[in-house]
Amino acid sequence: MTVVGRTWERLTIPGKILAVVIPLGAVLTAGLAILIAVIGGAVVQFLVDNLPLVRFVVAATIVLLMTVPSAFLIIYMEMKVIALMNLRYGPDRVGPFGSALSVVHGLKVLMKEDFTPTGADVPVFTLAPVVVYMSSVMSLLVLPFAPGLFGQDFNIGLLYFFAMGGLTVVGLLMAGWSSFNKYSLLGGLRSAAQVISYEIPLTLSVVGVILLAGTMSLNQIVLGQAGNLFDWYIWRQPLAFVVFFIAVTAEANRTPFDLTEADSEIVAGFATEYSGMRFGFFFFAEYVNVFIASGLTVAVFLGGWNAPFNWPWPVAVGLDPGSLGIGLLLLLTLGPPLAIVVLGLPFYLLNSRIRFWQALIIGFGLFNVIAVAAVLGLAFLSFDWVVGLLWFMGKTYVFVFTFVWMRGTLPRVRIDQLMGFAWKWLLPAALLNLFVTAFAILVLNR
Amino acid sequence: MSLIPGLGIVRGMALTLRRFFQPKVTHLYPEVPAEISPKFRGRLQLLYDEHGTLKCETCFQCAQACPIECIDMGGVDTKGRFAVHWGASETYGERREESALRRAGRTVPDVAYEHWSPIDLSAVDAILHEADHDPRRLLEILGATQAAYGYLPVAALKRISFGTGAWYAMVYGTATYYHHLRFEPPARLAGADEPVAPTVESGRERVEADYLAALDQAIGPGSKRPAGRVN
Amino acid sequence: MTTRTPFDIPAHASTDDPRVTLDEQLGVFEPIPPYPPRTEREAEFYTLRDGEMFLNMGPQHPSTHGVLRVVLKIDGEKVVDLDPVLGYLHRGVEKLCENADYHQAICYTDPLEYISSLFCEWSPVMAFEKLLDVQVPRRAEYIRVLSGELNRIASHALFIGWFALDLGGLTPILWSFIERDEIVEMLAALTGQRMLFNYFRIGGVNGDLNHEFMSRLGTWMSKATHQINSNQALLNENEIFVRRARGLGVIDTATALQMCMTGPNLRATGVPFDIRRAHPYSIYPELDFDIPSRTEGDCLARYLLRMDEVKQSLRIIDQCLHRMPDGPVMAKLPRLIRPRPGRAYAAIEGPRGQYATYAISDGTDQPYRMRIHDPSFIHLQSVGLLTPGNLIADTMAIMASLDPIMGGVDK
Repeated sequence: MTVVGRTWERLTIPGKILAVVIPLGAVLTAGLAILIAVIGGAVVQFLVDNLPLVRFVVAATIVLLMTVPSAFLIIYMEMKVIALMNLRYGPDRVGPFGSALSVVHGLKVLMKEDFTPTGADVPVFTLAPVVVYMSSVMSLLVLPFAPGLFGQDFNIGLLYFFAMGGLTVVGLLMAGWSSFNKYSLLGGLRSAAQVISYEIPLTLSVVGVILLAGTMSLNQIVLGQAGNLFDWYIWRQPLAFVVFFIAVTAEANRTPFDLTEADSEIVAGFATEYSGMRFGFFFFAEYVNVFIASGLTVAVFLGGWNAPFNWPWPVAVGLDPGSLGIGLLLLLTLGPPLAIVVLGLPFYLLNSRIRFWQALIIGFGLFNVIAVAAVLGLAFLSFDWVVGLLWFMGKTYVFVFTFVWMRGTLPRVRIDQLMGFAWKWLLPAALLNLFVTAFAILVLNR
Repeated sequence: MSLIPGLGIVRGMALTLRRFFQPKVTHLYPEVPAEISPKFRGRLQLLYDEHGTLKCETCFQCAQACPIECIDMGGVDTKGRFAVHWGASETYGERREESALRRAGRTVPDVAYEHWSPIDLSAVDAILHEADHDPRRLLEILGATQAAYGYLPVAALKRISFGTGAWYAMVYGTATYYHHLRFEPPARLAGADEPVAPTVESGRERVEADYLAALDQAIGPGSKRPAGRVN
Repeated sequence: MTTRTPFDIPAHASTDDPRVTLDEQLGVFEPIPPYPPRTEREAEFYTLRDGEMFLNMGPQHPSTHGVLRVVLKIDGEKVVDLDPVLGYLHRGVEKLCENADYHQAICYTDPLEYISSLFCEWSPVMAFEKLLDVQVPRRAEYIRVLSGELNRIASHALFIGWFALDLGGLTPILWSFIERDEIVEMLAALTGQRMLFNYFRIGGVNGDLNHEFMSRLGTWMSKATHQINSNQALLNENEIFVRRARGLGVIDTATALQMCMTGPNLRATGVPFDIRRAHPYSIYPELDFDIPSRTEGDCLARYLLRMDEVKQSLRIIDQCLHRMPDGPVMAKLPRLIRPRPGRAYAAIEGPRGQYATYAISDGTDQPYRMRIHDPSFIHLQSVGLLTPGNLIADTMAIMASLDPIMGGVDK
């Protein structure tokens, strides 16, 4: 037994771990530093040269990461809102007001057994959820969230959007066909018929907007609605808005057009044979689709990230941290403790039951709230995209609420009524809207 | 339907939105226990009196009255001697009446079988006395009973169960296991004067012969075993 | 592995076919029975024409109202033909009753139609009373009518919820469960159980009205009309609902009478036949109520008719409460009942139609024969008449509008 061996024996388990990790980390850091020193410049140069590519990769990653939390949020909304409309409490056990329940649902879905039924067409069966999910995520890429905050600004943005929306149906058909189940087959074929029928009025209804805006880029369409409430396209295209909203409801397979997964008729439609995370992909894709449908409605007809009115008193933040000099250091070191004590003192003085340390904790909490609010407020005033994102998300979630609200209220339509409605009512209305718009543009521009 | 299309839908949506803000009706169960009315009959528990002793005195009235025979109970008599038992017939193999037999899917000979038919049980009592009321000598008792009656009447089985303290299910199970024990009077063969009553010995030998044949098949003939006996 | 599609398997899978796996031989995927067809109808049904396929709906399906299995022969979304397969909930209630004594038999009839248990026990109790020639005290009759009409409202409330749920509405069933839960809780205070009440006894009822029941009933009655009316506003004028239910599953008067329909399903075709008025029993002749009827005979009419019946039931409850006499709630009877040999028939009007019992006594303490007539079974037969030609989604709506309960169908 050598000296090294004896020392090793005396170490505790955390000590052993640290004794390994620290030298390893040091070596790796050194290696990385050398690597950066050698090829870093070239990499940075490459990235700078190909900025659109970098932007695309970053945006795609962020969008992909964003889908799951937003799906969780919408699932929670759906559970809670429908429950409240049903005079139930809904989820109220996990997290504050049950808000973590959808996360738990996600974990449950991950832990479930993922099986493939006998007779299923395995490759197609496995790929179908991926196709559905990816088509949803990819249509999210062109949605303008805020000024400068969008994945990619195509000049054929809307067309790309509808193309990606149409890709969903391929995934649903794949799922329906490969499941080796007649309910799945019916669900898949229903979704094919439904989505293809409703794409026509959907596309035709936005042609009016495209004529008005003169572009198909979603970003340009939103920019064209800048100004106040009455510059939004909904006032110039009310009929198109109604047609678009109905068609987009059908595209997202939401009640009253949720025939593809009508549980009282065809069990769960295309998702009947799916379990585990594969079912989770369908589930998430459905709610991402709700978000997309709402976001698109907002972007095309309701001004996107434009505020409904202009803030009449512009606030300029003329604060320059550098001007404070050494005072900044004092403010950062002494400010927080002082603020904590000052905020906690009233509680200590007013209520004899609150002890000193409890008052300090309250003060700390209050200080944090104020500090975060101050930083956010600063950001709100300083950056355009924060304001834009807030308005966009606010409007979008109003529409998400409407979708959930409709699900809580309306019964389902029949398949022939669904088709008849699309071809007999929505399509003529969209065409009428298109002709009237074109005529008006022609007359007014003359 | 109203004249304006979509008005009904809008009114329904308004109604659900109004309900959205109304007070909720769900019982928050674990926090707020349900109010159970004093008349509620679904309690699955035995009651205790004010001294803390069990009120149930194992009178079996509830088990007898229960139409679906879901009450299963056992107990001890006043001398602490006999384990008494009343259970679901399908579960325990106990057959207390013909309707229970029918429900258990057994054929009931309606004519030959007399429900609680009066049978002179003094013979059974004598056999039991002779066997010292010992449940370990059950096979002997059953054999002697069959020799006395020609078959095993239900009343005799009940008396054996009562006398030895063995559960009726055990007695019944023992009796059904051996081929030589029967539950109905033996059918008279045409031309035969007396019904052939198989003895205890012949029955046991037949069971053993079955075992031996099975053993032979399993491990081959001529394997080592003590002179033709199965233990 | 080889790729298989639903159409790879031949319609009449022979066990010798190497393409057919063991699961398919056992009938896991195909609804075709493993035996050769026994009747011409069966042979015709299980022969597929071009473009048709079978859809095996049930016994585990969200909207077959229990364990009904329906083999649908579909052409696309259109139902060409259907074959209901019953018996998944068969318990042999009649035979069980014949092996129990008269008191015990009542409890077996309870779970027949488990959402309107009081009516299921009412008709055997009445039949046994006729066998025994017992005069039921007037207070007991009033209590029977009172609790029965409450149960009728609870049953109809659940019907509304189910019907809406089968049409895809999520909310109505939970709203109607609020009504039902309040009624069921107050009946639990009266009878001691929430669902299978076992409350009616031969010669009366088990226990008088108590304070808890009366206070719950009073609270509920003060708001019942308003609640029921406001709940209806969700569906009755909804264009989607009305368009789906109107003109669907129309059955005309002659066919309805030929199919032996009773209750709301018959009244929706224009025949105001109600046993409470046609063959009065209990204290119904003394009460003032109307028999609502409609002439359309479609799903919407059946739905709206039940709405009207709820209002009439509320009227009856109100009158019962105002006229409730004093007195005993149980006739004097021996513990062990041995009616003289004879036969008796009793029919009552339940929420789904005619519930009837025909009992024969042979002088022992058990009924010699007991026949139970259940309206669900009768009404379910007409699904085969109404559904072909409609879509899959309408199958659910039609089945729900006839309101069968599988506990009563399979007995």
